[in-house]
Amino acid sequence: MSLLSRIQQWLNPASAIPVQWQDIKIKELPLIGIDLELTSLDISTSNITSIGWVKGQGNCLDLASCHYSVICTTESLNQSPVIHGLTAETIALGEDVKDALQMLIQEAHNHVWVLHNVTLDMGVLFRLIRQFGLTMPPVVTIDTLKLAVYQLQKQHQMMPPNSATLTVCRQRHDLPLAPAHNALDDAVATLELLFAQLYQLDAKGQITLADLMHSGAINVHQLNS
Amino acid sequence: MNAVAPQQALEFLRSSAPFDGVDEKHRISAAQHTRVIYLTEENKQELLAEQQGRLFLIHSGQYSVKDSDGAQRHVSEGDYFGFSGLLDRIDYPIELSVDSPGLVYCIDGETFTTLIKHSASFSQFFKGAREEELQNQAVSDSNSMWLYKPLAEVISGDAVSAEHNVTIQQAASVMSERGVSSLLITEKGELVGIVTDRDLRNRVVALGADMGKPVSTIMTRDPARIRHNRTMFNALSIMSERNIHHLPVIDEMSRRPLGMITASDIVRHQKSNVLFIIGELSKAQNLYELTRCSWQMPHYLATHAKRLGDFDIAGKVLSQATDIMTRRLITFFQQQHGSAPMSYCWIVYGSQAREDQTMGSDQDNALLLADKPDEQQAEYFRQMSEYVCQGLGKCGIKLCDGNIMASNPDLRLSIDDAIAEAKRWVRQPTKEAIMHFNIFLDARAVAGDMSLFNRMQSARAPLLKQNMFLAALARHANEASVPLSMFQKFVYAKGRDVQDSIDIKKQAVAIINNLVRLYALANELKMPATLARLANLPENAGLSPRDADNLRDIWLFLNRLRWRHQLQNSVTDNYVRVSDLSSIEKHQLKAAFKAIERAQQAAVMKFSGGVN
Repeated sequence: MSLLSRIQQWLNPASAIPVQWQDIKIKELPLIGIDLELTSLDISTSNITSIGWVKGQGNCLDLASCHYSVICTTESLNQSPVIHGLTAETIALGEDVKDALQMLIQEAHNHVWVLHNVTLDMGVLFRLIRQFGLTMPPVVTIDTLKLAVYQLQKQHQMMPPNSATLTVCRQRHDLPLAPAHNALDDAVATLELLFAQLYQLDAKGQITLADLMHSGAINVHQLNS
Repeated sequence: MNAVAPQQALEFLRSSAPFDGVDEKHRISAAQHTRVIYLTEENKQELLAEQQGRLFLIHSGQYSVKDSDGAQRHVSEGDYFGFSGLLDRIDYPIELSVDSPGLVYCIDGETFTTLIKHSASFSQFFKGAREEELQNQAVSDSNSMWLYKPLAEVISGDAVSAEHNVTIQQAASVMSERGVSSLLITEKGELVGIVTDRDLRNRVVALGADMGKPVSTIMTRDPARIRHNRTMFNALSIMSERNIHHLPVIDEMSRRPLGMITASDIVRHQKSNVLFIIGELSKAQNLYELTRCSWQMPHYLATHAKRLGDFDIAGKVLSQATDIMTRRLITFFQQQHGSAPMSYCWIVYGSQAREDQTMGSDQDNALLLADKPDEQQAEYFRQMSEYVCQGLGKCGIKLCDGNIMASNPDLRLSIDDAIAEAKRWVRQPTKEAIMHFNIFLDARAVAGDMSLFNRMQSARAPLLKQNMFLAALARHANEASVPLSMFQKFVYAKGRDVQDSIDIKKQAVAIINNLVRLYALANELKMPATLARLANLPENAGLSPRDADNLRDIWLFLNRLRWRHQLQNSVTDNYVRVSDLSSIEKHQLKAAFKAIERAQQAAVMKFSGGVN
């Protein structure tokens, strides 16, 4: 990235958003809700056990677009089988992580990614993408966790503990209980949560990504930076 | 691993009839052909248009929806809409309002059709649901009930009439040409008489009268008549009370005849026999017969008012029965004591005036006199009032605790005094005065000289529409509140044996009555009944037709709950128990309370400029 564009981005963070998405309303953006299930919460060592995603746009998600990959890994599963319900046998039958990543990278060109806790999931993704020597175009993410924190902080000074987990966030918006910790279910749950959050922020659906930059929930990720 | 479906969706379908009964393969396929929308008031139009032709299954949120020619339904988690259109293969427009936003599954129409063909229980479920919907509509739409039908809708074709100076021969040939058994006789267009088959037989053929004479010589002059905006029920009451088979219907304004209601019309429309009692009452020849017959009323209603729709007319039946009792009692008194020394009018107030009496309603009545009575005249009316009020008491209509009865000398005013009193109310609409006089604002003449009453009403109407008075009334109407907490939970009445009861009269029905009265007074509407007022509000009354319809539906709904409570529990109070309600009724009751609250706020804004 050139120095000039770095300065531009620092002065105006919204300028990093790809041109085709700069001036359109969030409700018109092609979205993809993504969730990764990981073997640990440590970005430098964690591995992916499964990936799920679902596509949507304008307060509507299409279950026909659901994707779910279980990743074949030889790594230790640590505590995660208990949490994700994936046993070593299932994982041994799963896909190669590189294939799964390549499929996901396809979605970076034409979708804004919606995740709950972008820092963790994108950290692991980027580490693995570099590790496999893959390339990826800049990807725009919306973090429902950061959005929740932003909305909570607008209301309270203090954040109650556990107030930003996916399940608690959904409860706050009166969304139905969803089985947590399955990558596809969490991906669907995350995108549903975004719809409810956006409704609370802007019932008429007029805002753009740039209007939400100040919440800290919008990020543009560049592989080479 | 493609063609997957989230567990969340599968589990939801597994717990939602009739998807619980289809095999897993079809369930997965249904989930894969589903879109999930986050439906809000703001985006509903756009989203529903995009998802047209799909089956909607609510996962969260609350909505009011009208998706077929059926009635509006309140729906929430696990409820469907849009299936009528899919079953009928018609794109019914979906009218929906979002009470609270949430997720709605939109299941592909093809998938739905395949399942309907594939699974008998699946198709049964939706066909059953639709029938129930239609059935609900039949009772919820009070206008479809024959008794509630305005006469204007019932009379067919134009009035068959002849001018008063045509010959008997000509009149008879008009009747046979048009195939009718009665003929309206007019003078310059206004109704002056009626000729029936029976008149032709008894007054012409039997007597060998000259058929060249004008028809006016054999007609019944100044026949009983009814205005076109009254209902079948009113017509039936008049006909059974007067024992006539033909009742001309006239236009209220022009007094021109519009048509005729006949006994056979009534029979054709009659589907219920809950009115039988009226005929019995009017046949009573003495106080003993009258009380014996009256005491059957509660039992009669309990046995015959079974369907929800019967409750809609139960209040009317009871009020009209009380009217007839009053008239019979006055007749009995006059048979013994001679006719009244001056013209008078027996007026009823409150629930009897509005025709929404219940078993627990007490009597509210008064006498209006043409002049200030002298001592002897006053004594006659004192005795008459005493006799009628006590007689009504014996018939089961409780004496009024607040002494709003003609037996109270303060309520036997001359017309001049009554108008002067109304002026005083309006000049000083204090809180106490409003509380006291609210009841007198719903009034109806029941016996005696109706023109006295009309004169008083005409004099009062312009007074009662004055802004300061309406503002005071609006504030009063806003003082009562619906029993809902801030968190939309029911607030139960305190100090009752039953823990979960709600005073549905004071905290709901009366509020609607008060609100509707406001709009009615502001527009000088003369009828006292809440539903009739709603139906007759002009376009610019400040209450939109949609809000008026809404209030009507809510009023009917609350009224049903109240009647069912009284009849099922054999009580005369208005404390409806929440545990007696079905879950959908609880949901509807909350929605009704919220709507009443909104209507209160709107009325305060409109009539008292938002000042509480």
